[in-house]
Amino acid sequence: MCGIIGYNGFRDANKVLIDGLKRLEYRGYDSSGISVIDKKQQIFKEVGEIKELEKNLPDFKGSIGVSHTRWSTHGAVTKANAHPHLSTNKKIAVVHNGIIENFQKLRENLTKKGYKFLSNTDSEVLAHLIEDNYKGNLQKAIFNALKKVEGYYAIVVTSTDEPDKIVGARKDSPLVVGVGDNENFLASDITAFLKYTNRVIYLEDKELCVITKKDITIYDENYKTVDKEINLIDWDISDAEKSGFAHFMLKEIYDQPDTVNNVLRGRVSEVDQYIEFAEKVEKELKPDLDSIHIIACGTSFYSGLVAKYMIEKIADIPVSVELSSEYRYFGTKKENSLVIAITQSGETLDTLAALKEAKNSGCQTLAITNVIGSTVTRLADAYILTQSGPEIGVAATKTFTSQIIILFLVALKLAIKKGTITSDELYNYILNVKELPKQIRQVLEKSDEIEKIAETLKHAHSVFFIGRGINYPIALEGALKLKEISYIHAEGFAAGELKHGPFALLTKETPVIAIATKDFTYDKILANIGEVKARGPQVIAIADETDTEIEKHADFVLRYPTNQTILTSIPITVTLQLLAYHVANLRGCSIDKPRNLAKSVTVE
Amino acid sequence: MKCVILAAGEGKRMHPLTYTRPKVMLPVGNKPILEWNLLNAINAGIKEFIFVVSYKSEMVRNYFENGEKWDVKIEYLNQGQPLGTGHAIGITEKFVDNFIVLCGDTIFGSEDIKNIAKKQNSIGLVEIENPQEYGIVKLKENNVVEIYEKMTEPFSNTINAGIYHFNKSIFSYIKKTQKSPRGEYEITDSINMMAANTKINGVSLKQWRDVVYPWHLLDANEEILKKINKKMDGTVEKNTSIKGKIIIGKNTTIMNGAYIEGPVVIGENCKIGPNCYIRPYTSIGNNCHIGNACEIKNSIIMDNSNIPHQNYIGDSVIGQNCNLGSGCKVANLRLNKKNIKAILNGKKIDTKRRKLGTVIGDDVQTGVNSMLNTGSMIGNNVFIGPGALTKGEIQPNSKIM
Amino acid sequence: MIDKAVILAAGEGTRLWPFTETMPKVMLPVANKPMLEYVFDAVKKSGIEEIVVVVGYKKEVIMEYFKDYKGIKITYVEQDKQLGTSHALLQAKKHIKNFFLVLSGDNIIDQQSISNLIKDKSEYSMLIKEHPHPSKYGVVHIEKNTLKRIVEKPEEETGKFISTGIYKLPKTVFEKIQELNNQGVFDLTSVIQLLIKQEKNINTITADSWMDIVYPWDLIYVNEALIHNTSESINGIIEKGVTIKGPVLVGPDTKIYAGSYIVGPVVIGQGCEIGPNTCIFPSTAIGDNSVVSPFCEIRNSVIMNNVHIGSNSSINHSIIGRGNTIVNNFTSISGKATIEIEGEFKKLKGIGTMIGEDCTIGSNVVTEPGVIIGRKCNIDSIKRITKNITSNSKVM
Repeated sequence: MCGIIGYNGFRDANKVLIDGLKRLEYRGYDSSGISVIDKKQQIFKEVGEIKELEKNLPDFKGSIGVSHTRWSTHGAVTKANAHPHLSTNKKIAVVHNGIIENFQKLRENLTKKGYKFLSNTDSEVLAHLIEDNYKGNLQKAIFNALKKVEGYYAIVVTSTDEPDKIVGARKDSPLVVGVGDNENFLASDITAFLKYTNRVIYLEDKELCVITKKDITIYDENYKTVDKEINLIDWDISDAEKSGFAHFMLKEIYDQPDTVNNVLRGRVSEVDQYIEFAEKVEKELKPDLDSIHIIACGTSFYSGLVAKYMIEKIADIPVSVELSSEYRYFGTKKENSLVIAITQSGETLDTLAALKEAKNSGCQTLAITNVIGSTVTRLADAYILTQSGPEIGVAATKTFTSQIIILFLVALKLAIKKGTITSDELYNYILNVKELPKQIRQVLEKSDEIEKIAETLKHAHSVFFIGRGINYPIALEGALKLKEISYIHAEGFAAGELKHGPFALLTKETPVIAIATKDFTYDKILANIGEVKARGPQVIAIADETDTEIEKHADFVLRYPTNQTILTSIPITVTLQLLAYHVANLRGCSIDKPRNLAKSVTVE
Repeated sequence: MKCVILAAGEGKRMHPLTYTRPKVMLPVGNKPILEWNLLNAINAGIKEFIFVVSYKSEMVRNYFENGEKWDVKIEYLNQGQPLGTGHAIGITEKFVDNFIVLCGDTIFGSEDIKNIAKKQNSIGLVEIENPQEYGIVKLKENNVVEIYEKMTEPFSNTINAGIYHFNKSIFSYIKKTQKSPRGEYEITDSINMMAANTKINGVSLKQWRDVVYPWHLLDANEEILKKINKKMDGTVEKNTSIKGKIIIGKNTTIMNGAYIEGPVVIGENCKIGPNCYIRPYTSIGNNCHIGNACEIKNSIIMDNSNIPHQNYIGDSVIGQNCNLGSGCKVANLRLNKKNIKAILNGKKIDTKRRKLGTVIGDDVQTGVNSMLNTGSMIGNNVFIGPGALTKGEIQPNSKIM
Repeated sequence: MIDKAVILAAGEGTRLWPFTETMPKVMLPVANKPMLEYVFDAVKKSGIEEIVVVVGYKKEVIMEYFKDYKGIKITYVEQDKQLGTSHALLQAKKHIKNFFLVLSGDNIIDQQSISNLIKDKSEYSMLIKEHPHPSKYGVVHIEKNTLKRIVEKPEEETGKFISTGIYKLPKTVFEKIQELNNQGVFDLTSVIQLLIKQEKNINTITADSWMDIVYPWDLIYVNEALIHNTSESINGIIEKGVTIKGPVLVGPDTKIYAGSYIVGPVVIGQGCEIGPNTCIFPSTAIGDNSVVSPFCEIRNSVIMNNVHIGSNSSINHSIIGRGNTIVNNFTSISGKATIEIEGEFKKLKGIGTMIGEDCTIGSNVVTEPGVIIGRKCNIDSIKRITKNITSNSKVM
């Protein structure tokens, strides 16, 4: 999915186009660009978030222009490939959303005619093709050019030869006209211009429209002008983006059965019993590694801690997990060790800096990120994408679970190469990991039950989360989720560690959430719950659905579906995400944009 | 000369009435505030207008269209974001040379507009009793030296009235203006910069009516009704008593037994009576029904609302499409006769009025014998059950049983 | 010109239990696409520019799926309580300007019939259809194409044509709906009856193809009917020694292992693993991320997403819901059955089993024809399932 906007009016085009791109950011962003007519085509592109484009954007003077945000699923993310694309004579600028199926042929023909291509995108063909058809009338040229195009598209075009108009056209990709006062808009989505006008015209397939500051003319597929109705928008746009969910965070929690499926797809084979990564990644996963160092911040740091348990248990390679900001200055950088950097945005400055340090010391590096084309993908020797789609809520949810599953697959892959796993164990792991989408769904169905328990937490002063083994980092993540969106003080502890200090904090007003998995530490955690209860707090236990013992020990019980201990961390995480969400919602907090926090932290 | 009217604001302090309309479209004397400004500006000889709109802009646009109805030209610009008066004026740069700006939510007189139009670089000034909430103007020989926003201990009672005459040079100052502490670009900051270089004339206004809170509409309504002339287009049945000046719209019927004391304005297609008592300073919109045994005093009733049986409405504002149940009454005076306090957006405010009934948003229904206490602020689409008592602030879409 | 269609998609569809416990009826898959998508496609192709969808039960599932649906404008309105069809339609009132179409999201209709309805000049018109079992529908009586009477679920067979529930109506119909709703009458048929009473001419047009989905097994029938439109397209990896005959669609990242034998029409989603040596016979749809292990045989069945079918299983004329885990040697016997649904008894021929989502089924389980197994059931090995099982049950 990409997002496009065109503006023709009286305001600074720069500002309107950047504002619009930010509203379209939900359609994805890995690179973006803008062009404004200021006598000639002024053009600027940047890789990364829209913020990056805005930060370095020259002060173009003009009130007519086009812009584009790109989210590529295939192909390189480079400035050259970002839109807008210019024609060979530099007069025509084109932004495009869609796919030109016959672009190779068109490109060959145009190259023969002497047109010069600067990128390897299909979209660039359009710019040269329009120039080739130009005989003094832009819309006619576009109309004729599009007749030669196969595929689907929404395009917006400007030309310095006719600097008073923008032309748009669509086929099977969205494009709407915003009707303003002394200004008009074209965009993939109404949200891009909603703050300036709520009057829109919907374009049909194969329609073409010409927009000046005052007028809008629409042509049908036979180049006849057509009259169109202006619609008034009265619905709340952000609701549509959220698919009916109250918040992006909730939507993203509910996305998880699908995002987990995406992570597994093409990487895990039940029949062949193999785990497959891209060739470059496979090269980094050497069986004779001395150690692995994971560097990350925030939620990603916790997924690193989870991975430590997985890799050490399954593949028997020592793992250290370090905060990027610490590792950068104080970490040990050894040869024959692999450094894995985890960052959702791929732009976290601390992690990037630490990764550079590691590279300079001769370590092999692997990145795990959600954003293709982000800085980390260019910096690391190899990278794995979490393929979770854009995450809008500031509190990470679906990318956390995706990171864990990818790291689990990494552990399996290393174990296969090292021979530390029997084929029977491997088969069971594969079967069990494939159960996860279903198990997440089962947790999501408990949302109402979790909300009831959230009621008991909403006035808490502090909340403590405890767990053992792999559930210790899950307790940390549970506490992080709660504090970052509900503003309730929350801490996670290894259950055995409570008596070495934190006991002093326990009172009736500090509920404790205990993760009690049915493994060899089960008796120990029951003992820990007993110790806690003796000091006054209410205990909410997160327990296996087959557990019949736990009711006697805890005040409230939330159950998760049975799986291998190493994988129950996923349904438990989802339970804790929902718990944090409901507490914050009951407290009326701003869930998608908590105070003082930003989605990706690109400062040190 | 063009006249720019700032009409973009939502007017949060005008809740619950502005949940469903922009502030400038609030009616007094059966016309939106903005229309009074338009008419007065037309009287002052202005023919070209730019309305800067944003919040619920389609309501302004649908009402005024291109101005043909008034024989003038109206253009619209959408402010986009509520970034303050400086920003609103700033976006008009490409459309004006020498122009007047007025705040659309304050009613200005036509003579004052004419005086401002005569003087290049001028600002309308007015003296008021409690200037703390306004921009206090420091003058030197009738020229503006500086405007101070919201002083706790003002040195003067002269304030910036919200009407200006500028030329192109103002835009260079607007561009230099920084965001104020409340995050907006204030035109007064731009004016202060301009005053350092250019002479800005202060022009004293004769007439000025600012509306901030819903109950101020009653004051504005009174002021406008005082000046009306009698005009009777509807049908008046036998045995009705009409005293003083009253305006009755087309297709409206005043039925037997109605007793109306002007000044009162009644819109089109209304049914008034039988047997009702309408007292001075009341505006009733179009398609309303005031039924048997109802008394209305000093109130604004908007279009399509019904006060059908045995109701008392005093010192109140009632939105569109409301329907009161039989016997639903409004209290407008505290038993201890003290000032009435209202809660608005969660804040308690002294209305400085001894008499104030209720302010009701659009689409409200009240049940039989329900009671609306002094100073109730009732949101739009509220349902009040039979016999229920309301007080304080009621959020939109609530049910009170 | 008619440019808007209202599609009613708020209902839960309790008779489709257990498949509607977690998703609205209209999102149940037919040849791997939700049935609502077929309605959208037909409406779009006939030139409609805006779709107003009345949603209610599990609305998020619908809104999330159709987020970017082929560029056409979709407006959602919510029906809080599922009172009835006319009440549902009333929710769309403010988006309607003049004439509009009403369709039900759970009836699959062809594009040509919709175009015929749009072209019809009369103020009120409806699509009707000859049906072999008219008694479970509203039977229509017509004279010269004009509707004279409509009888809901008549006890005696009085006519062969039934109402499809697809209408072209003017905006004024909302007044009548409001009137009836105020009296506590919430269904659309009553509105039509009122129109007849008020001597409005309602023109009837015969639909070419119309399919209704009421009971779980209707999914198998409709799947069989629509899967024929599949065009061949292979996006996954097909190993050597796989035989593919007829139209077969294979999604990306899907792998078909050697020795498998697939006879189209068959639709297989993305990320699946099929085989080795597995046979898939006509009219079978397999959803995304599912595994069909070696030596299985699947025939005329609907297998939804994330299903695991163990080796040596034989599945015929059956529906396997999302997220099922079937260990191995599972057999669904198909044959004659009498099934009780909400107090009614239905006789069926050639039916297998219908299993709700997220069940775990042990090895060597056999199901008798027509058995319905609820959601999240757990069935131990070597069990013979002879009667329906409620959700969340354990069979030990």
